[in-house]
Amino acid sequence: MSNSINMESPLHHAQLDDLVGQSGDGGVILHEAKFLGHLNLRGNSQDPEFLAGIKEVLGVELPLSACSSAKGERAQIMWLAPDEWLIVVASGTEHDVEKKLRLCLKGHFAVSDISGAQTILELSGINVIDLLKKSTGYDLHLDSFPIGKVIGTNFAKAGAHILRLEKNKFQLVVRRSFSDYIWLWIQQGSKEYGLTIT
Amino acid sequence: MTQVNRVAAAANQHINRNRPLTFIFNGKTYQGYEGDTIASALLANGVDVIGRSFKYSRPRGIITCDSQEPNAIFQVGSTQATTIPNPRATQTELYQGLTASSTNGWPNVDFDLMAGLGKIGGAMMPPGFYYKTFMYPQSLWMSYEKLIRKGAGLGCSPQQPDPDEYDKMHHHCDVMIVGAGPAGLAAALAAAETGARVIISDEQNEFGGHLLCSTQAIDGQLPSLWVKDIVDKLTTMGNVLLLPRSTVFGYYDHNLVGINERRTDHLGEHVTTSSRQRVHKVRAKQVILATGAHERPLVYGNNDVPGCMLANAVSTYINRYGVVPGNELVLMTTNDNAYKTAIDWHQAGRKVVAIVDTRTTSNGELVQQAQALGIKVLFGQGVINVKGSKRVKGVEVAAINAENHSVSSAISHYSCDTVASSGGWSPVIHLSSHTGSRPVWNDDIAGFVPGETVQQQHICGGLSGVYALSNVISDGFKTGSTAAQDAGKGDGSYASILPLINDPQEDPAMALFHIPHSKPTSRAPKQFVDYQNDVTAAGIELANREGFESIEHVKRYTALGFGTDQGKLGNINGMAITAKSLNKTIPETGTTIFRPMYTPTTFGALAGADVKHLFDPARFSAMHKWHLDNGAEFEDVGQWKRPWYFAKTGETMQQALERECLATRNSVGILDASTLGKIDIQGKDAREFLNRIYTNPWSKLAVGKCRYGVMCKEDGMVFDDGVTACLGENRFIMTTTTGGAAGVLQWLELWHQTEWPELEVYFSTVTDHWSTMTISGPNSRKVLEKICDVDVSNDNFRYMDWIEATVAGVKARIFRISFTGELSFEINVQANYGMHTWQAVMAAGQEFDITPYGTETMHILRAEKGFIIVGQDTDGSVTPQDLDMDWVVGKKKEFSFIGKRSWTRFDNKRDDRKQMVGLKPKDPKFVLPEGAQIVFEKDQPIPMTMVGHVTSSYYSACMGYSFALAVVKGGISRKGQSVFLPLSDGTTVEAEICSPVFYDPKGDRQNV
Repeated sequence: MSNSINMESPLHHAQLDDLVGQSGDGGVILHEAKFLGHLNLRGNSQDPEFLAGIKEVLGVELPLSACSSAKGERAQIMWLAPDEWLIVVASGTEHDVEKKLRLCLKGHFAVSDISGAQTILELSGINVIDLLKKSTGYDLHLDSFPIGKVIGTNFAKAGAHILRLEKNKFQLVVRRSFSDYIWLWIQQGSKEYGLTIT
Repeated sequence: MTQVNRVAAAANQHINRNRPLTFIFNGKTYQGYEGDTIASALLANGVDVIGRSFKYSRPRGIITCDSQEPNAIFQVGSTQATTIPNPRATQTELYQGLTASSTNGWPNVDFDLMAGLGKIGGAMMPPGFYYKTFMYPQSLWMSYEKLIRKGAGLGCSPQQPDPDEYDKMHHHCDVMIVGAGPAGLAAALAAAETGARVIISDEQNEFGGHLLCSTQAIDGQLPSLWVKDIVDKLTTMGNVLLLPRSTVFGYYDHNLVGINERRTDHLGEHVTTSSRQRVHKVRAKQVILATGAHERPLVYGNNDVPGCMLANAVSTYINRYGVVPGNELVLMTTNDNAYKTAIDWHQAGRKVVAIVDTRTTSNGELVQQAQALGIKVLFGQGVINVKGSKRVKGVEVAAINAENHSVSSAISHYSCDTVASSGGWSPVIHLSSHTGSRPVWNDDIAGFVPGETVQQQHICGGLSGVYALSNVISDGFKTGSTAAQDAGKGDGSYASILPLINDPQEDPAMALFHIPHSKPTSRAPKQFVDYQNDVTAAGIELANREGFESIEHVKRYTALGFGTDQGKLGNINGMAITAKSLNKTIPETGTTIFRPMYTPTTFGALAGADVKHLFDPARFSAMHKWHLDNGAEFEDVGQWKRPWYFAKTGETMQQALERECLATRNSVGILDASTLGKIDIQGKDAREFLNRIYTNPWSKLAVGKCRYGVMCKEDGMVFDDGVTACLGENRFIMTTTTGGAAGVLQWLELWHQTEWPELEVYFSTVTDHWSTMTISGPNSRKVLEKICDVDVSNDNFRYMDWIEATVAGVKARIFRISFTGELSFEINVQANYGMHTWQAVMAAGQEFDITPYGTETMHILRAEKGFIIVGQDTDGSVTPQDLDMDWVVGKKKEFSFIGKRSWTRFDNKRDDRKQMVGLKPKDPKFVLPEGAQIVFEKDQPIPMTMVGHVTSSYYSACMGYSFALAVVKGGISRKGQSVFLPLSDGTTVEAEICSPVFYDPKGDRQNV
């Protein structure tokens, strides 16, 4: 057997890398931000020690208001629920971060490595809002969905967390087993606008 | 055929004479123009009969120009894939090559076998005919129905798959405006100018509503110029979405508005530039209904002969489409407004025979205008009957007395080919009633208007009974700004200045619906109320006489309003006739209300893009590509696609299963078990939480150990099972069934959040994080040893232990648990490494002929061991005790646990409950059908006393005989006894009750 270890992202079979540069200026642009470290964090946001521990390990304050997010040099954090967050860190650093969290956090908390469980799809382009309007019932207007906001919602018939990075740029956090369905849905929904893979 | 009724071009027409279009109707080719509907093009070509009526099969023509149309309902489309049943020709835009045919009229519209039935007369087919004649014998109803349907025809469903694509979009806005007539447009502008997010939709291809057929000047210019000005303004605003060709089909609670936008239907069949139709789901803070009003016809004798039309429809065909649908017009009206139609007709250069005005007098401006043109006006009279069959030939006119519903003079005859009638206008209250608002009667306009509502809803223009154009537009401005203010935008004022409009002074209209005849209604010529269902005034009066007094009962007995048009044209007249015959007022009689859809909506639109491969998400494991490449057949387990079995070339399924089973029992097999639910449980009270959720105790499970557990609901019935391992003193990983994963997580959260919030424990799903591959069989250890960095000998790695190790260079958790009864190792790696690890295991196993197996072999192997599958061997009515699994129920747990209390219920303690047992058929080759019923006595009269059923049944290649799992009443104490299974083919087979553990009952093989 070969000694090399092959990683396959949830959309490996779609061979997105081969599609880069194959399509022109689509109204929707898709990029899979694969192999990032994903950690699910649960804890008590009322506990100052817990908050301080997070700040110490991740170098960024835990976002506490509903549907907010935070970004630091070492980690991006998305609020998922009053006691639940998603921490996204650089590929391969998830084990170290998990260890440090276990070391530094006091009291009642939980950390789970879910790096294999999901992938991040970055969607952008001039028609990205149109595609999202076909996919989620959430109000995408900047007044209700400002930059930095993250929502948990239905994406077509799957679930997803959607974070707005820019006016026309979003991150979709999708589960591995649903990623093929979402890939098919994005292709269908962006047909009229053109889809570019980057 | 030429367009005999097309008149000279005029500035206010909305057709493009430079774009002639050819179309086919009932096999004949005709020509129309871009901008035409099928209806306007047929009228232009002088086509009178466009269908046959539902019950009496009478020739019918086009009556309206809008969604009210009851007759011109066609089958549109040239192929079995693209054909659409029942669109209204009055709302279907013409395109090159359009193919349409009548939906009613078998075998054809001009010669109709059924017509004999209609001609014989109403006495033969009173309302309730179908109920009275065809109800008995009831067993024959189905065949009667087929015959009736064939004769009547309501269009045909496409016989081939729809090639078109559909989709949906979600929207949110401050103000949603339904209808882009003068009121809606004014409202949109006023709302949009506040900065509010505005959506305005209209069912027509162009915005303008009533102004599209109007010649009334606005600011001294054509009304279409005012429309264009407003639409241009709205188009340039970034906060407005304009949706033409978009029908609001439903208005739902919480201001959810459903819109169907027809995007390519007007371009042709199967146009692929975009989705064909798009459903917009709009969640609006405020909704403005500006749906306008529909003109109401009058009810008079033979009022269904082709050539009888609504007055406003006639004006629309003249002004908007340049089509005068006849040569000699008689207009009957109860109001001034309809005089416009006679004036339009006259100005188009054709003859107005007479205006028959039911009022004794009127001196309104339009009346004077008509008289000044030399048009004869007959006051105090009515058209009591129409002559002609396939086209109007003339009318009978007489003086009428509306008070006592009688004819008070001799009959005069007039020759004509067209009868236009107007009984006034009915506000289009359909959408407002969708949300439960009861309409209220407004005497001033003799019509229903929307009543109280709990929605954030506004109404304006014709819908609210405001008809004069200047008032309509100012009402629109005012309502638009008010709605915006209610949505938090603007201060309720508006900047737009009302355009200069001269509304003609009109004398009062007369509230009249049903024109008397010299004979009583029951003997008079048929006076149609609901054309689509052939409901007549006589029929309604008969229903009233037979005791149907509630308007809801009248509706159901006569079928009034039951057509695809929902009685848009006839309902108010039907209520008025009921009111009169019961000697009540219309408000006392009440009204029926309307439900979605406003007009029929295609299933394609409602399905949207959620079809074919997108109908339901398919979930895949990280090794799916390998399974595909290696010939797997797949089975749906929840949304997952799991390998069912891996057939080699030429193998049958049974051969593949036998090979997979033998390979696993004799050497080594491998199963993709990634789909099992996995929940990471952390916190100092995790152990106690497990004690309460599972039936068995968890207090003493040491770190590094695994335990099988069963979960019950409060009723004591098993609902999930799986192995949970202790990862650390305060951390466990729970596995659930594949289908139960999401439900179990919710179950845990529910009990934690609502009952035991004091327990410090968190749950996180990690199902998708892990790829799980189970190697099973006597050689499985040898395979694992080749690629694992840890000693996995029996001394070092015991049954029901788990370890961390490196497998094929990848960090892994290995669980030594077994669902086959063989020596087994369940290897879990992070899913991005799943395929890599699987391939490494396959390579390592090659020398042992490692055999991939699917869910079916897994089922056989576990059944040989008597291991249950929740949902197959249980059905929500099975306790652990019924499964002979009392060993999995804790006896000494300190705190109670879910299900415990229910086992003490009398019913759950009965010893004749259905209990799980094994079954051995007497014929060792015969596989009992799953689901087969079990009886104790072979020879019993039917219905036999059934005492259980087969839950799992297979042929075992390993044991050489067939076997089954079953539930049998009191089965545990009946081992060794025979039972019988009467099968659906009439045969009965015998089987012996035995232990459900068929293979290796001592469990030696998994412990080696």
